[in-house]
Amino acid sequence: MSAEDEAIRRDQEERLLQAWKTPTGWRYWSEVNNTQVGLWYMAAAFSFFLFAGVLALLIRVQLAFPDNDFLSADKYNQVFTLHGSVMMFLFAVPIFEAFSIYVLPQMLGSRDLPFPRLSAYGFWCFVIGGVFVCGSIFFDAAPKGGWFMYPPLTTRFQEGLGADIWLLGLSFIEVASIAAAVELIVGILKCRPPGMRINLMPLYAWYVLVVGAMILFAFPPLIAGDLLFELERMLDWPFFDPSRGGDPILWQHLFWIFGHPEVYIIFLPSVALVAMMVPTLARTPIVGYSWIVLAAVGTGFLSFGLWVHHMFTTGLPGISLGFFSAASVAVAIPTGVQIFCFLATLVAGRVARTVPMLFVSGALAIFVLGGLTGVMVAIAPFDFQAHDTYFVVAHLHYVLIGGMLFPVFAGIAYFYPLVGGKMLSPRLGRIAFWLMFVGFNVAFLPMHFTGLRGMPRRVFTYPEGLGFDGLNLISTVGAFILAAGVLVFAWDVVRPKGRQPYGPRNPWNAGTLEWLAEVPPDKPWGVRSVPVIESRYPLWEQPDLVRNVDAGRYYIPDAEERKRETLVTSVLDAEPEECLRLPGPTYLTIAAAASTGGVFIFSTFHWWWAAAVSGLLGLATILVWLWTGTALVPEKPWKDVGMELELPLYRSGPESVGWWAMFITMLGDSTAFASLVFGYFFYWTVHDDFPPEGAGPDLAWPAVAAVCILGSWLLTLGARSWNREGRGTAFTVALGVAVVLAVAGAAALLIAPAGLDPTSHVYPAIVWVLMIWAALHVGLGVVMQGYVLARRWAGRLTAEYDIDIRNVALYWHFAAATAGVTVAVVAGFPLVG
Amino acid sequence: MALRIASPTGAVLVVLVAACDGPQSALDVAGDGATRIADLFWGMAAGAAVIWIGVVGLAVYATRVRPGEHSGRTAKLLLIGGGVVFPTIVLTGLLSYGLLLIPELREPSDGRLIVSVTGEQWWWRVRYETADGRTVELANELRLPVGEAVEVRLESRDVIHAFWVPSLAGKIDMVPGRVTRLSLKPTRTGEFRGACAEYCGESHALMAFPVAVMEPAAFAAWLEDQHALAAPPSTPETERGARLFMAMGCGSCHAVRGTAAAGTIGPDLTHIGGRASLGAGILVNDVDAFARWIAETDHVKPGVRMPAFGMLAESDLRALGQYLESLQ
Amino acid sequence: MVKSPRLRDSLWMLIAAPTIWSLHFLFSYVTAAVWCAKLAEGASLGGARTAVAMYSAAAIAAIGAVAHYGWRRHCQETRHPHDVPTSHGRQRFLGFAILLLAGLSAVAVVYGALPAAFIASCH
Repeated sequence: MSAEDEAIRRDQEERLLQAWKTPTGWRYWSEVNNTQVGLWYMAAAFSFFLFAGVLALLIRVQLAFPDNDFLSADKYNQVFTLHGSVMMFLFAVPIFEAFSIYVLPQMLGSRDLPFPRLSAYGFWCFVIGGVFVCGSIFFDAAPKGGWFMYPPLTTRFQEGLGADIWLLGLSFIEVASIAAAVELIVGILKCRPPGMRINLMPLYAWYVLVVGAMILFAFPPLIAGDLLFELERMLDWPFFDPSRGGDPILWQHLFWIFGHPEVYIIFLPSVALVAMMVPTLARTPIVGYSWIVLAAVGTGFLSFGLWVHHMFTTGLPGISLGFFSAASVAVAIPTGVQIFCFLATLVAGRVARTVPMLFVSGALAIFVLGGLTGVMVAIAPFDFQAHDTYFVVAHLHYVLIGGMLFPVFAGIAYFYPLVGGKMLSPRLGRIAFWLMFVGFNVAFLPMHFTGLRGMPRRVFTYPEGLGFDGLNLISTVGAFILAAGVLVFAWDVVRPKGRQPYGPRNPWNAGTLEWLAEVPPDKPWGVRSVPVIESRYPLWEQPDLVRNVDAGRYYIPDAEERKRETLVTSVLDAEPEECLRLPGPTYLTIAAAASTGGVFIFSTFHWWWAAAVSGLLGLATILVWLWTGTALVPEKPWKDVGMELELPLYRSGPESVGWWAMFITMLGDSTAFASLVFGYFFYWTVHDDFPPEGAGPDLAWPAVAAVCILGSWLLTLGARSWNREGRGTAFTVALGVAVVLAVAGAAALLIAPAGLDPTSHVYPAIVWVLMIWAALHVGLGVVMQGYVLARRWAGRLTAEYDIDIRNVALYWHFAAATAGVTVAVVAGFPLVG
Repeated sequence: MALRIASPTGAVLVVLVAACDGPQSALDVAGDGATRIADLFWGMAAGAAVIWIGVVGLAVYATRVRPGEHSGRTAKLLLIGGGVVFPTIVLTGLLSYGLLLIPELREPSDGRLIVSVTGEQWWWRVRYETADGRTVELANELRLPVGEAVEVRLESRDVIHAFWVPSLAGKIDMVPGRVTRLSLKPTRTGEFRGACAEYCGESHALMAFPVAVMEPAAFAAWLEDQHALAAPPSTPETERGARLFMAMGCGSCHAVRGTAAAGTIGPDLTHIGGRASLGAGILVNDVDAFARWIAETDHVKPGVRMPAFGMLAESDLRALGQYLESLQ
Repeated sequence: MVKSPRLRDSLWMLIAAPTIWSLHFLFSYVTAAVWCAKLAEGASLGGARTAVAMYSAAAIAAIGAVAHYGWRRHCQETRHPHDVPTSHGRQRFLGFAILLLAGLSAVAVVYGALPAAFIASCH
């Protein structure tokens, strides 16, 4: 390399460094880059894991002996509720999001995810909501209804704010999860390196794609359920109160439509980790790449047909149980395929004995047993006995600890060098593994028998002489051994490593792009240049890749304008489409998270004014964020990205990442709406007269609403075209009228049920919810219409640069459909029925 | 059970069986439903053990015994044979068997005896309804005739509970606003224990009930006795207890048929002295336990609706206990 | 960059077979649930079982068509491996994945039909 080249390279690096520099001092926390946010996210999720682990030990101490009084019944109920909720909502799902935010861009040879500020916002929401929920136990105010919160126990038979803290705190976090899902899906579809066609994607990306989609369809039903639940608690709308037409079983449906996919949302990313580690550790490409994709996609679908297996004992008709039993059994097939893909890869390769391999083997041994007991409980008759007993406690811990915790620990041991360039201690790793493996089995294997001997779950104590005593004591001993292993591992992770030398670059000799990471890891730009990919294992099969990446011979090796940039490519074949400008550090995300968090937290305490102010602040912050940080008109239309390629700096419509984000978000939103509609028809099936005779809103107002909203939607679409044609006046007039029509439509939606008292019966309550839901969507549509009007006046939206109006039009498709379906159900169905 | 230990397998079996007995064990069976399910369990458990050993053995072989490379063809065969064909065949068989079992376990019994059980925080209201149309309300205890199918109707007055007698059959939830059902067919006499299986609040752990399976004749006699009015107090001590019972207002929540006490909020006490336990399966039935229950109710069962009568003198508590104990 | 719609289709085809399974599952479940809640005379499942059988036949036929599509994709091209960095490789991969998912979905549909074969009442 000539001296001139060397000088150019140094200048490029200097500029990249300026663009990607992590702020220092207290400004550090304004960073939004995936590396920092991912690290914080992982650290926070692990803190919650340790907290919930301590709760687990409290549970085990209480249950060590019969009739123990270490914890009172009330305290115990808080502890086990929080243990389950924290492990599921604050550790198992977020750790996957955290890790994906951290590593996915590196796996895809990308500089960052497409919406860094959204990741940061999600993280801050997560921390605020998590601390709020966990903190409640120190005030003796923790939720105590179990992590499944079954009404009517939690709606009418428990004192205190616990249930509100659970509902509002965790709803808030679910929003953050959905944000992360949108981010990750778009990242995988649109931010792969050139040449990384869909058949060359790392398996991790396949899994995250599937899991992201699952989150979109699984979390919204719970959010819908939470909404109904909170309305019952705060306003006495009787959704789950049988004395006024409600039905507690509806909550169970909504909860488990979320709750079972949730298990796979937790499990699949961990399998994805294994799918990344096994080929490296066995030194051979994965056997059955397509089979794993089959398994991931298949599991994603089938997992939505399992939810009633949590309700096998609710007295549903046998045939209903049969359908869900069948799907629960069917899902074992793709799960088995994955395991055999890994086994086959191990057989085909030459396996190195390392700490990650040890944890993967342990995971396999544990998970397979959990899977087998899973098939047992999928057979409905056996579940009649096993359900709600310690057998299920054993089963679910075998599945989650074998299927999630051990792979995650393997992943930490494996990926740790990416973070600081240093390796974990193999000796401590082995000690931790054996403590954890032995401790786990000592703790949980006996529980199968405890359960079959008749010990129900969620009991704060048990009497002597039923055969539970010895088994429980053994379990407690095992739990402490397991905890000791976790502590050893945690110590290895956090112990100071100042004097330990850096490990080699790509220490495991892996084949995938994340191992391009440089050692020492002091380069915040992710990859020096974005490579062209021609293989599933580019570091194995593309000679000189590392050298060329480091020398800046691929795409975007420079940051001439000192701006953060990454490549956007096409969905199937990863052809370069756009050079995407990414936003830099900001406090807006923290402010937005704090103010949206305020809405939920203040509502918990019924401080309505504070909540309203907080909500307005949140809306304002988000508008400022959008206004200053998104859809920026670039200083030039095209940019040279290296390798003799020029790419546009701005794209709108389906080629833009923003359009996909809107589309995906609205899919999730529609799922929540569909859940509410499901609720309406669910009540129809349980009642002989639904809607009750003569109870419905008349046809007139709903019809007015439908016409107005339809008009507003069409005018918005018109505005989109007129903007493109440069007809500014038509654009302004159309949107102006659209705003008026939308406001009128929303008002008509809310006037329609005005005569119905939602506390009197579930029918008016569900009608009101549907109407409010639709009206809120139309209202948000009005804000958007106003926003694009302002953008156009300010010159930030032009005929050429029109992301905003196209995304708003896309939103309006969904909003109009929501309103249309609402009117059809509320006003139309009574005519049919 | 006389098992001769002839092999390590036998020894393991003995340990397993020993780890499975107990009054509340789903594997220590005494009813039709439980028997079918226990058989299903043992079959599945044996299969699961074999599969687990196979899979883990394979992993150990690949990573420890012969960690060298094998041909891609071997690997592919393993994937398709072990990961696809074998599980599909096994699962199809198992699913079919499970589905066939569902109607059998869910079939209503044509039983002449109907028992309605209502779950309440944290006790069981029990009502027997015989073919002749007579009903009687009891609480916190279930007695059944051996060999006869009994239809159990389940309801709840407050939150969701689940009715579960592991030795007899699987569990079914008791859902407010719905009536669920279960049929029980005991196959041998004995004493068993049922419990609430659905988390139902603070004292969920303390919601159990004794179950007795009796010879039909003994059962008929017992049920006949339950129809009878309460025995009047026969000693000065029980008489004092009876007076205290009325004076303290116990009768506004509890019924003692044949007296002025006709409350329906709490359990019927007409024959409480004859029950196998107190407080929904949590205390032995004796005078001391009565005294303790009455004085420290909320301590014995946290969150319970019945107020504690800790202000009563020890002698009063004993008198109450003696009276209640006399209600055989 | 213009892509031919034919190629764009195939990512949606990947989820076609499992989507058919989802619809089959949903229809079967809803039919049985509504039948038992609203229509059943006594406790007989009668018509609901016929309906499930019809859904199953339709679903299997549709999945067969998807499988055929995947098979064609997979075998149309010369026998490249799936991981070559060309659109042929990508197409062969997607074809094979579509085929596998069709297989899994077919098994799941058959499983979903079994309850209607074995269970005759609403109890």
